[in-house]
Amino acid sequence: MTRGFAPLLGLVLCVGVGALAWATEGFRVITSEGARQVSIARHPIPIPNVRLIDQDGHTFSFGDYHGRTIFVDFIYTRCPKLCGELGDDFRQALSRSDAKNGHVAFLSISFDRADDREALQLYADRYAARAPRWRVAMPYDARGLSMLLQTFGVTVIPDGMGGFVHDGTIYAVDESGRVARILDPGARIAAVPP
Amino acid sequence: MTSIEAIGSRSRISATAAVRAYLVVCGIVLLLMMLLGLTMRLAQAQWIDVEPNLFYVIMTMHGAGMVGIAGLGGAAVMWHFVRRYIPVSTGIFIANLVFFLIGAVLILGAGFIGGFAGAWTFLYPLPDHSGGLWSANGAAAYMAGLLVIGVGFLLLHLDIARGIISVYGGLGSGLGVKQAFGFAPEKDGPPPAVAASTMAAISNIIGIVVGAVVLVLSLVNLYVPSFTFNTLVAKNLIYYFGHTFINVTIYMAVIAVYEILPVYTHRAWKTNRAFYLAWVLSTLMVLTVYPHHLLMDFAMPTWILVAGQIISWLSGLPVLLVTAFGTLTNVYRSGLKWDAAAGLVFIGVAGWAIGVIPAIADGTIPVNSVMHNTQWVPGHFHTYLLLGMMAMMLGFMTYLAGPKSPSRLAPLGVWLYLIGGTIFVLAFLAAGSASVPRRYAVHLPAWLPYDRAGSIGASLVVAGALILIVRFLVSLRSPIDATP
Amino acid sequence: MTRGLVLVVWGILWLVRTPLESDMALHMTVQLPLLIGIGYMLATFLRPHEPRWFARADWFGIPGLLLVVFATSFWMLPRMLDLALSDPWIDLIKFASLPLLAGLPLGLSWSRMPGLGRAFLWANFIPKLAAIGGLYLAAPTRLCAYYRLDQQTTAGAALIAVAVALGLSWSAVLFIGSPPFWSKGGENAVERMRGAASGGP
Repeated sequence: MTRGFAPLLGLVLCVGVGALAWATEGFRVITSEGARQVSIARHPIPIPNVRLIDQDGHTFSFGDYHGRTIFVDFIYTRCPKLCGELGDDFRQALSRSDAKNGHVAFLSISFDRADDREALQLYADRYAARAPRWRVAMPYDARGLSMLLQTFGVTVIPDGMGGFVHDGTIYAVDESGRVARILDPGARIAAVPP
Repeated sequence: MTSIEAIGSRSRISATAAVRAYLVVCGIVLLLMMLLGLTMRLAQAQWIDVEPNLFYVIMTMHGAGMVGIAGLGGAAVMWHFVRRYIPVSTGIFIANLVFFLIGAVLILGAGFIGGFAGAWTFLYPLPDHSGGLWSANGAAAYMAGLLVIGVGFLLLHLDIARGIISVYGGLGSGLGVKQAFGFAPEKDGPPPAVAASTMAAISNIIGIVVGAVVLVLSLVNLYVPSFTFNTLVAKNLIYYFGHTFINVTIYMAVIAVYEILPVYTHRAWKTNRAFYLAWVLSTLMVLTVYPHHLLMDFAMPTWILVAGQIISWLSGLPVLLVTAFGTLTNVYRSGLKWDAAAGLVFIGVAGWAIGVIPAIADGTIPVNSVMHNTQWVPGHFHTYLLLGMMAMMLGFMTYLAGPKSPSRLAPLGVWLYLIGGTIFVLAFLAAGSASVPRRYAVHLPAWLPYDRAGSIGASLVVAGALILIVRFLVSLRSPIDATP
Repeated sequence: MTRGLVLVVWGILWLVRTPLESDMALHMTVQLPLLIGIGYMLATFLRPHEPRWFARADWFGIPGLLLVVFATSFWMLPRMLDLALSDPWIDLIKFASLPLLAGLPLGLSWSRMPGLGRAFLWANFIPKLAAIGGLYLAAPTRLCAYYRLDQQTTAGAALIAVAVALGLSWSAVLFIGSPPFWSKGGENAVERMRGAASGGP
């Protein structure tokens, strides 16, 4: 072995392992979804006070929910399959938690600027969503939408057929209005006890 | 002695010492693994009591250990003879042994401390589904051990491939492809040891890197259970690696036949076009034969299974035929004086040839679907490995021990090994045709006669092997002869 | 002249990064290898100026090639593919670090690695590339937030295709060898064997 080999090898190993550990949150995740999940669990993120409008045309903001846990999903009303799954899940979860407590609310946010109040109403009717327990809503303006998408870490890309590809991820917002937990990809709340 | 000669003889001494070290490890591990095998047979025969949980640990260790030393013994035979024809690195050869020992420690720890009992084939996702019998660390130690051993063998085969390429220009020429298809005169062809080593290098390099992939994926799955992959693909990869590795051991060991018998008969081993063609065909078939391990997996595409069946009927045959024919012509009327080494090598060829029969039976889909989970299959591979491959390796060991060693007991060892081995494999085959399942710790009373016959055969094999191995170990007291 | 060309290609790659990154397969099998290639080309120019301490400490090329392994693994993580798309600064770091921390050490250290070590690395790299491709091809869910499932499948198939092409060409080189397998004359194996055996270890 030559002089300088051991220090150089040690340096490369430290930097390399360190970089990989950083990128994988300590060798736990390889996707940005997973990384987001880990970081939110560690540091819940406060949600900016964005104005939204719900299926009944009422405006509200996250601040109105103070003291309650909200399950949030992101949808668009023309969505052919994934949002249907999410809607069914919320309906089932709601029917179970209805009897038990009023601390839990549900919120479906549309990220499609083509959606209007009528579209929200139709979507809400499809799953028997009634405000304020389950609001189907959209942000007032594009700026609010992008702030929300950024805060929640939602990536929406066109699916090439006029619709969108998005993760059917469910987010839990805690009593003080912070994104506190991201459920596992594909996890549904109706399946776990409330 | 000129300085070049001095360097030559020194390198010869260190090379021989390295081969001896290989054989010491092989001999000791072989005996230990044989004792584990005997323990299993005695337990099934209900002559001793073994906890079923421990039985499966023993089964796993026996499988992994035997596959490992079959590879190691084959490598010793191959390397010892092929270095007469090509430049190879003694350092890499020794490194392989070191990697093997590290891997062996990990595997033994995984089994006897970690309780890993997922069979040597570590079939995904079994290592992660132990039902509480072993921990993730136990399974990981096992698979890491296999990975380490694979690194050693990969380096060794790459080094041999490099040596072959440096002399013959390419692996194709090392295999004798030109001679096989008549593009070059037969007399310019590579010696049998080189052709066989080329085949071993090609097959094992591919087999080992495939094995490394599935081992790495399984290791990740152990610690990140949410990371999963297709189980059928995993099974394909595992058997691609496992079958190739164990199959190639016999093609390495057969070099002992090509190199040792001519010493006794004073006739060079004849290579001709058929010989090279046989090696080319067997190389292609060893690389594609593994699907016969998946004949019971109905989810496999049918054409793969059909191809697997046809190739498994044919795969061993070309080299076996030219070797058996070559052996007979080499021995016939040569005035050969039989001794333990020549006898063992000859038994090896015979065991290999006879082993084809149960193998072809099991490689046939309708038979396989009723026989594959019976003791027919251990019967088949023990015929190949115990009476074929290991006989060749023990023959090589006895040959290296040389005539100076006490040889009065050696013929007894050979006879015990042959008779015991025959009883042992026949007990398996008979039990298999009576539908006795394989991999069962506890047997029904109706199966005990087979188990007891097998136990007696196994005891005789252990006694025979003990004589041969002790004789080899005793011979190590004499210094290495530096003359070529 | 050629030096300038390499820098121009580097710049062009930055300009066309949006189209190249819009597709996962192009991102992984075109952009990333080209960035590594730029570093590799830089190594051919910079070799005379290589610091002596590095040349000495880079024993058999081991630290350098280890750096290559880390840098390439890092930028192939699905999370980093995502980050490179969402944040131009991260992409800029990628554009700097892949040539300088993967391509450059590859060019400098590869020749120091003995033939056996290189063969070992090839033999491990090719099947693992195919395995990553296989995982992408079979994964039921998306691994990158910015790529659709069909793009991920295509990327998996592309990686497998690259691995198969590399594997076949490497096997062909080893099998055919030099002098080429089909050439006639001038290749008396016995002569070569004696030459190699006396020169060998």
